[in-house]
Amino acid sequence: MVALLVGLKLTLLRNGLRRSVWRTVGLVLGAVYALGIVVAAVAGLVALRWTSTEVTAQVTVVAYAALTLGWLVLSLLVFGVDETVDPARFALLPVRARALVPGLVVAALVGLPGVATVLVALGLVVTWARTPGLALAALVAAVLGTLTCVLLSRTATSAFAAFLSSRRFRDLAAVLLAVVGAGLAIATNVLSRGLGSDLGVLTTLLQRASTAASWSPFGWAWALPGDVARGAWAQAGVHLVLAAGLVVALGATWTAVLDRRLVEPSTSAGGSGTVGRSGRLERLFPADEAGAVAVRSLRYWRRDARHVATLASFLVAPLVLLVTLGLNPDVSPRLVVLTPCVLAVVVGTSVGQDLSFDGSALWLHVSTGLSGLADRRGRVLAALTVFAPVLLAMHLVVAAVTGGWASLPGALGLSAALALGGMGAGAWAGALWQWPGPVPGESPFQRGSSGGLPALASAMVVLVATGLLGLPSLALVLLGAFWRPWAGWLALPVGLVLGLAALRVGTVQGGRLLDRRWPEALRAVSERAG
Amino acid sequence: MPTAMRLTGLVKSFGVKRAVDGLDLQVPAGSLFGLVGPNGAGKTTTLSMATGLLRPDAGTAEVLGHDVWTDPAAAKATMGVLPDGVRLFDRLSGRELLSYVGRLRRVPPADIASRSGDLLEALGLAADADTLVADYSAGMTKKIGLACALVHAPRLLVLDEPFEAVDPVSGEGIRSILRRYTRDGGTVVLSSHVMELVESLCDQVAVVAQGRVLVSGPVDEVRAGSTLQQRFLELVGFRAGDEEGLAWLRSSSG
Repeated sequence: MVALLVGLKLTLLRNGLRRSVWRTVGLVLGAVYALGIVVAAVAGLVALRWTSTEVTAQVTVVAYAALTLGWLVLSLLVFGVDETVDPARFALLPVRARALVPGLVVAALVGLPGVATVLVALGLVVTWARTPGLALAALVAAVLGTLTCVLLSRTATSAFAAFLSSRRFRDLAAVLLAVVGAGLAIATNVLSRGLGSDLGVLTTLLQRASTAASWSPFGWAWALPGDVARGAWAQAGVHLVLAAGLVVALGATWTAVLDRRLVEPSTSAGGSGTVGRSGRLERLFPADEAGAVAVRSLRYWRRDARHVATLASFLVAPLVLLVTLGLNPDVSPRLVVLTPCVLAVVVGTSVGQDLSFDGSALWLHVSTGLSGLADRRGRVLAALTVFAPVLLAMHLVVAAVTGGWASLPGALGLSAALALGGMGAGAWAGALWQWPGPVPGESPFQRGSSGGLPALASAMVVLVATGLLGLPSLALVLLGAFWRPWAGWLALPVGLVLGLAALRVGTVQGGRLLDRRWPEALRAVSERAG
Repeated sequence: MPTAMRLTGLVKSFGVKRAVDGLDLQVPAGSLFGLVGPNGAGKTTTLSMATGLLRPDAGTAEVLGHDVWTDPAAAKATMGVLPDGVRLFDRLSGRELLSYVGRLRRVPPADIASRSGDLLEALGLAADADTLVADYSAGMTKKIGLACALVHAPRLLVLDEPFEAVDPVSGEGIRSILRRYTRDGGTVVLSSHVMELVESLCDQVAVVAQGRVLVSGPVDEVRAGSTLQQRFLELVGFRAGDEEGLAWLRSSSG
């Protein structure tokens, strides 16, 4: 069964590569990147052989616990789980989850992050191969630790996916996840600063961190060789039992979740999905086609988990930054006032990915002969309706709390340049690059590798263009802060004019581009992944 | 008789597979035209190219005198389309979706309201008008798709598998809508696997296999005294299964 599932995964990967050049390019780039990380990590691990066992233990526990945490957080928040071998597809076959789990775990390791993790985990054996006993302990740790990485990410995403599949909780859960993520980031930030200012000495910090990490579930397995090296057999025993227990418990949980998914593979929960009949929203927007697109987009912003998740993930960074900077008395309020601009930097990407989120439903726009310009304008209009009030409110609240009213116009100007310009760039990039997004109703984690390079290219271009468009206003804001205040005020009209001009150019050019390549865009978004 | 849809030399390849291979088709105005063919014959690909959803590698598609690929706006304005195997904007309710299509098609708002009501009533969706399309069954989704194709009162309807998953009662409803529509001067092109349905509903039929039209004309001419099913099987070259084939399957009944 293991060989069968791994073979299936390899076949699916190969076929995926054969179908799209983009994906091959993406894989090669990813492989180069991953190879660099692995080589650097192994070099570091080899270098550790010349240090004391104590330092080696401390460094490796912290680093590998971070790797394990990374698997959990990244699969939950950023990448999603690569469901190339989707367990739900096995629903019609007479198999039990117990028989599938080993194969699925190994299949999960087939792929760039998996292979890289295995190589780095084997590096632990290299660094600890000082006596046969230590090498054996490191090997056990590497196996248990790698299994923990995979099982943790699978179990967490499966559990969340099941939770999210009931539509009623889906929006709530996406927001909750973002808040938890922001909370974690803020907590570590506050914690690290507290430690840093009290102790200051790196070694003490490392010692504390390694103790904390070795007793967190993420470090149980990785702490094993260090315990053996110190001759702390009792601790080694406890860590071994805990690590093995964790692997068994996660395996059992995942098996249980899988068993349920094999019986009810459909994620759509029949619910009372009725909506009110009021046409208030429709009357708020122009009566042309762009207005219709805007109203439809706004309804999706509210009803579609993917959009809610986007919104939540956008809010994480500015909130974290706000709290971190706000807590630090050394940072001038004139800088804190600028934190909402971080949100303005990313909003353009939402316009860039909006078309891909439509999936094959986009045929309607193609078939009705909708002009590209109307499509672009409608989506921008909806994004502005969502983000403009949020941005404005954040700016006002931050200015009120810090008392930095004098810097508000400049900050608003910068945000205007970034948000409007970014949406212009998104309107253009969204017309050029499309990819098959996750379909609505599916778990937002189930992204797999479907986005690939077009998604990356779109986001990069939008972010770079946004940054460039923000530069003049940023320069004026900084001049205003450190030289003449009137320069900061100038940032407002400059930002508005520049942003609006970029928005105009982006929507018009994006519209023309879309008019030329509607059918190609439709094919790009509806291409099935896998 | 004027021609509502004229496809000339259409070609479309996906990789090495040639899905549509020099297909020619003429649909007379006012006809109820059935497109039949085995799986993978290129029906959906052909209809996608005829409606502006898929760019052909070669050939032209003309709809009511407008070329779909050089004058798409005019051609698309005259057509109502129901594609198969694609999603709808299913986070909208049925009523919202109809209104969205109506607004994209520049139907006056007063007309959108009245036509939506009529269509939802006629297709038996009135009770679920405010339910999200995501919660519709397969048959209901087909029906709301058909309503979307009709809301701007097009002169040509292009329907890919309009009866799939639709129950017999709703199916009869759709049939009577289509018959009345052609009686009032509209043209319908639909694809189907079900020969009996095409035989009883359509007045013109074309048999498609391997990306080409094998035969096309009035139903009576095409079936030539036999049943459409029999004639179809002859045309696509069906070999009746060997009696001894799949012998191992018998043991499973024991």
